[in-house]
Amino acid sequence: MPAKEKTYKCLNPVGIQESVDLFPLAPRLDKNKLDGKTIYISVGAGGEQGLMIPLPRRLQALYPNINWKVTYAAPHRTIAGSIALTEEEMKTADALIRGVVW
Amino acid sequence: MPTLSTYEKAGIPSAFVIFPDQQECWKEAARVVGLPAARYVCESRTIPGHIDVERVIPELMDALTRPLTAEEKARGRWEMPDKRILFEGTLEEAEEFYQQEEIIPNLQNALHSLYTDGLPIVVPTEERVAAMLKGTSHKPNELIVYQEDHRVGDRIFQMGSSGKKGEPVRFMPMRRTATVEKIATIGVMAGCKPEFMPVLLAMAESGGGCGDGRGGSGYCISGPIAREIGMNFDVNLLGPGNRANKSMGRASDLMWRNLGGEIPSVNNCGVFGGPTGNCFPENAEALPPGWKGLNEECGFDKNQNVLVRMGASGGRSGSWMPGQYREFQKSGHSGIARRLGVKGIPGPHNILEYIRSFWVDGEGGFTFFMLPEIAMHMYEYGFKSKDAIYEYMYKRSFMPLKEYRLHSVPDVWTNAWKGIEPTSGKHWMELPEDYMVPACPSPMANCIIVMGAGEEQLPYTGGASRDAYSVDAWR
Repeated sequence: MPAKEKTYKCLNPVGIQESVDLFPLAPRLDKNKLDGKTIYISVGAGGEQGLMIPLPRRLQALYPNINWKVTYAAPHRTIAGSIALTEEEMKTADALIRGVVW
Repeated sequence: MPTLSTYEKAGIPSAFVIFPDQQECWKEAARVVGLPAARYVCESRTIPGHIDVERVIPELMDALTRPLTAEEKARGRWEMPDKRILFEGTLEEAEEFYQQEEIIPNLQNALHSLYTDGLPIVVPTEERVAAMLKGTSHKPNELIVYQEDHRVGDRIFQMGSSGKKGEPVRFMPMRRTATVEKIATIGVMAGCKPEFMPVLLAMAESGGGCGDGRGGSGYCISGPIAREIGMNFDVNLLGPGNRANKSMGRASDLMWRNLGGEIPSVNNCGVFGGPTGNCFPENAEALPPGWKGLNEECGFDKNQNVLVRMGASGGRSGSWMPGQYREFQKSGHSGIARRLGVKGIPGPHNILEYIRSFWVDGEGGFTFFMLPEIAMHMYEYGFKSKDAIYEYMYKRSFMPLKEYRLHSVPDVWTNAWKGIEPTSGKHWMELPEDYMVPACPSPMANCIIVMGAGEEQLPYTGGASRDAYSVDAWR
């Protein structure tokens, strides 16, 4: 009878994933009560100009009773560049569109 | 994503524009920041914006107004328990276990290894890992934390790594942490020796091959430890054959896969994949008189050992073989000499002037991997310090604004020309077209590392990193 082959305990190289609390989404706007709402359009740093130039214009034309506010992010790869709304803007924002994220 | 998620958490309904091929990366990034159901709309990569906008707008308005589903209203907790022993069995069984692959639908059903870089590994048995741990005085269960304060990149900061002494390093893209024992485990898997451990731990402290989640492009070791552990300083130092250079470089890829949790097109939206794969030594003994080593440039003593991660913008190379560079310096022959107007005049000449169009068009600073031969020519030409070259590169990068506008990257760095031009303090749009602006942001945006041996080649890469991580702190 062959001798039993030696076994080994082998260690785990995978990093430690800390637990994450998962949050619900914010309640959505009532699509029948959009007039007078303030929606921010935050244009990400430097681009994507192909879409983000016509987008505010078309939204304003299609939804003239919404208060559209366009903001431009600080330069790419900076902390400020990832901020879409200031604390002051957050107080008046009913919703946010941000593009392009990547 | 970490910042953007705060608005939704604060009660502001949000819709984000991304690209179709980034949906899985979006979902993973959203889950890591606790907002797995964050709504998004995909912009086309090919349809012009003024046409695509008609399709995008109804989807955006729907994302802002469609009532939430039960799943989107739910709270919860995402947990992935860590276990120290991953597998128990014979060596043959273990080899098979660590070589497991999974199908990634987003990669056209390509296979991706669960624990390796795709190649077979040395099985990390408890005994082998214990032997590896003898290469450091740090305890196995010690968390990888910053040994000194560091200025980490903004993106890395946002993903949870503060860079502050004593705080944990979070490995991108999944923001995981690691212990000294996990680094030793990876060292075994990569084929490292115990004496490499201080370098591996410094590598982990620097982010472990993960960069901003899309990988780095190599590590330079500056200081005497490179010779102590037998690194190759000579020709082919980026090629195969030297265990220290290769296995430590490989360890960085294994850190990216295991510590960062990297899976292409699932949580990493990179394009070609960061070619980490190499750890190479600076050749401080070959520095021209008065030139500082990389460790000294980073604020350390020349006898101290540091690891510096290179930028991730890919490599380029000037190559003038056979004999063109040599003849240019030796006797003023070759097209290089003709372009620079020194035909028939023996060197030393400034080769950087010949490739000026390369680095100016590259828009930004550069790191040059400079052979000792070229470094000595630059010294003899008149650059008595590296700083003198950095200053020369900065000054030679100036160009009229009308020319600068014809480059690609400034659209981004100037924030679509809405920001402030740094040398004038004025808005970009206010400046006259003939105003001279630098393509290189500052002299210190450049870096020279004297390394290797041989002649006639000058590889370089974008950006300059002087954020050095002490190897000695991890002995």
